[in-house]
Amino acid sequence: MLEAIIEILLKTAVILALPLGALPIIIHVERRGAAFIQKRLGPNRVGPLGLLQPLADVAKFMFKEEVHPAHVRPFFYTAAPVVALVVAILPLACIPIFAPIELFGRSVYPEVFKSDMGIFFAFAASALGSYGILLAGWASNNKYSMLGAIRACAQMVSYELSLSTSLVAMIFLYGSNDIHVMVAEQTGYWFGFLPKWGFFLQPVAAMLFLIGIFAESNRLPFDLAEGESEIVAGYHIEYSSMKFALFFMAEYIHMIALSALFIIMFFGGYSLLPGMELITDRIPASLAILQALSLIIKVASMIWFFVWVRWSFPRFRYDQLMNLGWERLLPIGIANLIVTVLFVYFRNH
Amino acid sequence: MEFTSFAVFFIIACTLSAVLLGISSLLGQKRKAIREMDIYESGVNPVGSATRQYDIKFFLTAILFLLFDVEIVFLLPWAMAYNGAPDQTFMMWGFVFFMAILLVGYIFVINSKALKWEE
Repeated sequence: MLEAIIEILLKTAVILALPLGALPIIIHVERRGAAFIQKRLGPNRVGPLGLLQPLADVAKFMFKEEVHPAHVRPFFYTAAPVVALVVAILPLACIPIFAPIELFGRSVYPEVFKSDMGIFFAFAASALGSYGILLAGWASNNKYSMLGAIRACAQMVSYELSLSTSLVAMIFLYGSNDIHVMVAEQTGYWFGFLPKWGFFLQPVAAMLFLIGIFAESNRLPFDLAEGESEIVAGYHIEYSSMKFALFFMAEYIHMIALSALFIIMFFGGYSLLPGMELITDRIPASLAILQALSLIIKVASMIWFFVWVRWSFPRFRYDQLMNLGWERLLPIGIANLIVTVLFVYFRNH
Repeated sequence: MEFTSFAVFFIIACTLSAVLLGISSLLGQKRKAIREMDIYESGVNPVGSATRQYDIKFFLTAILFLLFDVEIVFLLPWAMAYNGAPDQTFMMWGFVFFMAILLVGYIFVINSKALKWEE
């Protein structure tokens, strides 16, 4: 019993500490990356290379005045940032960072919420993200917030369709919804050198999924929810100090969770990066650590990709965004699904 | 057991957010300025209420999303069951029939310009 409690607490601590610890680094990388892309310096004064800037920001968030405007709906106004952050953290409960291992005579699963429906839970929880935004927009009782929230929701639900269509295609191919089985399917090489990643099986689904996670996490070029030239800041316009910071954290954690899901579906999850087998062949005990390291490297590359795209592309216009979602991506997703099913059927019969 | 650990995770996540909010309301500067309490509307005096009429397109999008999302909810168990199914031919034709009906609906939606945003 005691062992079980310790195990739960340890896993929770690790799963929460990884993204929360990575958060300041990601924000720093984003700001320095933006500066790098735009040929300026970026934050470089606080600490060596400006590395302490995120900590200074956190301290500033804590000591800032918490403006509580008179016209808001008080309960929901306070609840919205909490809902946003909790809902962003939830999908992480199902994301495994290494394969199940034997430790002290018992088999240990890396994920907090071990379930054979893990991937569905993660998607359901990440889709709840629109609630935090809608709640914030409605409770703020401000025209900009309301418009931003409605836009964000319409956008998130539209792109969820093409995203889940590619999810169906991948689950159909893997024949399972257990994340460990999916990763096992993607372990190994084709022709001896090409990793068996889902990306090479279903490039169309991978592209749809990638566009979908950009829209789901409200990142440029899909950040219509906070288009500053039109609606100033969108749903979090009336929020200040830590409440604003919670939305900010929620956006980044949502990004991490969606990147991890993308990696699991299309880039082999925690399966080893090419070349790491050389180490595990010599030292079998290092397998779990290297698997975790592989997942972290893959997610980190995805985050850098997010930053890169954000500072390279202009924002869409709203009608372009909706047309892209409904009239381009959804038909492509459905056609991809039908072609996949027919191909698999006629290959086997 | 799994649900216990999930409950613990959920409670810790909630506590974390609540503690962060609590810290800033404890440490934060306290100053009540009247103008700060106003609705933010780019610095001019606010006009009218925030809950006014919105484009019907947002509502249509939500309704159509429900429709297509139900489709995906039906397809997910189908995709999982396909490999172990005794009669895969039946499964495949069922899928094609389902998608054909959906396609008719999709063409109707696009033709009726329910999702056309610009005139």
